[in-house]
Amino acid sequence: MAPVNLSHRRTHNLLLISKLLSLRDTASPLTLLQDSLEQPATPLIREYIRRAKASSCNSVDQLLSKVHVTLIGLETLKQPDGVDAFVSACRKSPTDIVKEVAAVYPSSASAGPSKRRLIIIDAINPLISSKRVDAGFHLPSFLGSLIAPTSPTAKADSSLVVNYHQDVPGLPQQNPYSPSPLSMLTYLATSVITLHSFSHILARKAARDRSLVAPVFGLEEEQEGVLLGRLDKLRGTNAAEGIVLELEHRRKSGRGVLEWYILPPASRFSPQQVKEVVTLLDDNVLYNPPMEPDTNADDEEPKSTFELGLTERQRREREGGRPALL
Amino acid sequence: MPSQPPLPPLLTPYLSSQPESSLTLVSSILGATSNWLVLRFLHASLSASSNSNASFGLEESHNGSKKKVVLVSFLRSWEFWRAEAKRLGLDLARLAGQKQFAFVDGLSELFCAPQAETAATIAPPNAGSPARTTLPLRPQPGAVPGRGPSSVAPVPNNSYAARSQSELGIAKKLHFSGRGIGALDALERDIALVIQQQRSTMDDSDELLLIIDQPDFLLAATGPVMGIGATEMAEWLSALQQNVHATIVTLAADSPLIHNASTSGNQMAAPVESEHAAFAISLAHRARSVMQLRTLETGAARDVSGVLRISRGGGADDSLDERELLYYIQRDGGVTVFGRGES
Repeated sequence: MAPVNLSHRRTHNLLLISKLLSLRDTASPLTLLQDSLEQPATPLIREYIRRAKASSCNSVDQLLSKVHVTLIGLETLKQPDGVDAFVSACRKSPTDIVKEVAAVYPSSASAGPSKRRLIIIDAINPLISSKRVDAGFHLPSFLGSLIAPTSPTAKADSSLVVNYHQDVPGLPQQNPYSPSPLSMLTYLATSVITLHSFSHILARKAARDRSLVAPVFGLEEEQEGVLLGRLDKLRGTNAAEGIVLELEHRRKSGRGVLEWYILPPASRFSPQQVKEVVTLLDDNVLYNPPMEPDTNADDEEPKSTFELGLTERQRREREGGRPALL
Repeated sequence: MPSQPPLPPLLTPYLSSQPESSLTLVSSILGATSNWLVLRFLHASLSASSNSNASFGLEESHNGSKKKVVLVSFLRSWEFWRAEAKRLGLDLARLAGQKQFAFVDGLSELFCAPQAETAATIAPPNAGSPARTTLPLRPQPGAVPGRGPSSVAPVPNNSYAARSQSELGIAKKLHFSGRGIGALDALERDIALVIQQQRSTMDDSDELLLIIDQPDFLLAATGPVMGIGATEMAEWLSALQQNVHATIVTLAADSPLIHNASTSGNQMAAPVESEHAAFAISLAHRARSVMQLRTLETGAARDVSGVLRISRGGGADDSLDERELLYYIQRDGGVTVFGRGES
């Protein structure tokens, strides 16, 4: 790729991911995270929460930029750090969840001007495949009622981050003509982030560079008794830690943006850091090792594999010396 | 006593401490069962405070808090666990008497009509003869010193008299009745009752560990026909999790149960396959650590029984080290655990 193009991408797409993760300008009302056992979304969710907190601590106008974080826990049991409100959604009907989520948000009269709100669903799968939920459950309207509460007084602009476990098999469709929940979600989402483990991405790239079949990990290995393949062999070397985010963002204009990013592990930066920590995958030294600099451009003549490596003087001496010896 | 220490030193950090409200998933396959690992979990929790002679595998530093264990087994009987624990030097019946351990039997009468229980509850009103009411009272004072009948407190005395000696350690037998979520809720209440009994004799610093052995059997035996699916089972489990300090769940992860329903595979998965896969994988997403047992890929070996891979689950923190170890179960039940290439 041309360097000009890369720097252009760097500027624009880093700005975009920063906007998305920090929930600026409500760039994405509904973000779908697709994780798997090989790379769970917990670090990314923690990063969302960290940014929501960091922005409210650091900014000058605190009232304007405070982000209220609600976590709807379908899998989580304990309230994680940094979450303002935790709604345990286990064994609750979708309408109850919506009611509770609306209830935990402080009423807008006391909170001053429009606050931003982040609602995270830690895993949508149980809700989709639950038998408790009746057939009338409509996923889009459920998500919609979370983002846009019916009461007009609540004027918060909320963003919803929904996590979907890709590897949990879903139930067979009740209605063969309706789309699967996943295609529904990907259709509705304004940005879709698929998570990959960095060490796997590196292994796949190494295989691709050698034109080998890309390796598979974990469940895809289809090895008996193996659920998780993620054994961080590089752990300790601190080399290939991090998460690769594959982002597909749909702009308002309809144009899509595709980009690959890397989020370093949380231990690499301080929780209060404001500077962007996410970088482009293409900028990573492990993924794109820097080319060996062209040593001398004038060295054009093809080299033989058999190289004596004599300097000009040595050669002259040799050539000059030989007749003398004879 | 086995010649090996009951707790393999390499495994001790994984066995002895479970963070609060954590879930540990132990997956096994047919050729590599998880019994020995469950027994090591039992030993790590129970031996420190009771069997002082067998506790050399454990550091004695944090001995202020006692640990209690509730074991719910769906696939193996009380007799099995008692005999196997004895080989490790762990007397489960005595521990049950001391209220340190409780066994919930999910196997023997799960789908039977609850005969003993109904007989017990119905008997006093209709059998009003004084002989029936006085008879059960007699064994109670006699049995106190050895076995401790208080562990069977919820069961009325009539059935207590009818029980054989070997069943004394069983705190509760589960019965599945009805269908759907209601039936699961009833099971949950029964287990929670036992947990509450254990809790009543606990200090604040004590930790209660819940071990559920192969709840996937319950899912396979009921299934979507009975209105129970993977999601309901997972919710059932997380409701139980909220009562205890930490939870350990064992599951089968044999290839047909996991891979037939995978998204890349064929679409013809049977309901039990897709429900089991969904249950196992969603539990792995919740778990802090996933301990996977499997046989050697290269075939059977004389000095290796299988491979234990410890991975971080979806709910993991950075404190857990991932490892892959080999283990060997000797004829006397002792287990050695070693890294690849070591012996």
